[in-house]
Amino acid sequence: MPVFRWGHSWDAFHDFEREVDRLLSSVNFAFQGIRLGRQYPSVNLYELPDEYLLTAELPGSKAEDIELEMGSGLLKIKGRRSEPNGVPEERYRRQERFRGEWERTLSIPERIRDEGMTAEFVDGILKVHLPKGEQSQPRRIRVSEGSD
Amino acid sequence: MAEPENIPVEHQNADPVPQETEEPRFLFTPPIDIYETSDGLVLHADLPGVSIKTLELQVQDNKLTLFGRVHPVVPPQARPLHQEYAVGDFLRSFILSDEVDHERITATMTSGVLKVVLPKAAQIKLRRIEVNPEPSTG
Repeated sequence: MPVFRWGHSWDAFHDFEREVDRLLSSVNFAFQGIRLGRQYPSVNLYELPDEYLLTAELPGSKAEDIELEMGSGLLKIKGRRSEPNGVPEERYRRQERFRGEWERTLSIPERIRDEGMTAEFVDGILKVHLPKGEQSQPRRIRVSEGSD
Repeated sequence: MAEPENIPVEHQNADPVPQETEEPRFLFTPPIDIYETSDGLVLHADLPGVSIKTLELQVQDNKLTLFGRVHPVVPPQARPLHQEYAVGDFLRSFILSDEVDHERITATMTSGVLKVVLPKAAQIKLRRIEVNPEPSTG
């Protein structure tokens, strides 16, 4: 299917057109749907009445390779994604999947009961339960009249 | 980690995408890797949220189609505060060359990664046809 044409092409351009067609048709237009250029992994954060839920897309990871750390309102997740061992680079015909080390730090909006945190990893999706902690009572600050 | 599970590869002529009447869903093209081995090609596709039960893999003529359905992992009443990915299904298809033995394609699914092994077709062997003398009838 021709996907590229000059407005008024000359015969001399036919070969060129064909070449461009060939190049363009080898471009996979389905790529538009690929979610590239994002941080890895992609994460979502949801709120429920009694907890926050964090989900992250980590296909191909192993649960034991995912590290989670919570402190000072920051949740840090990190890990490494390795590729099938011993496959030399030149054997790849396509390489679109993320590889290497990754790390994300996310700020969690409220106090979390750290000890109640749980995480599960199913079908390449990490889900972290972050139970909301006791809200500290607003502290009243007395304003006293300054004495001269 | 779950053991890889084998996925039956369907050979049929039906429409690979199930037609369901529900609200429109996002459809994404999953990222893939393809590499060569001495026996053929190996394809990996990232399909987070897809399990063996929600994956359909089909070969129709010389086209390999994968379709993975993703079910949300959070309850519907969860309020999104921060969203970097939308939940949707995965679809991608590939044209297989004649080198691939369509009948021997195998697939496994591990932790949201689909692995498809596409073996090279064996060289067509010349078959020797024995010529026997016609049995004498008499």
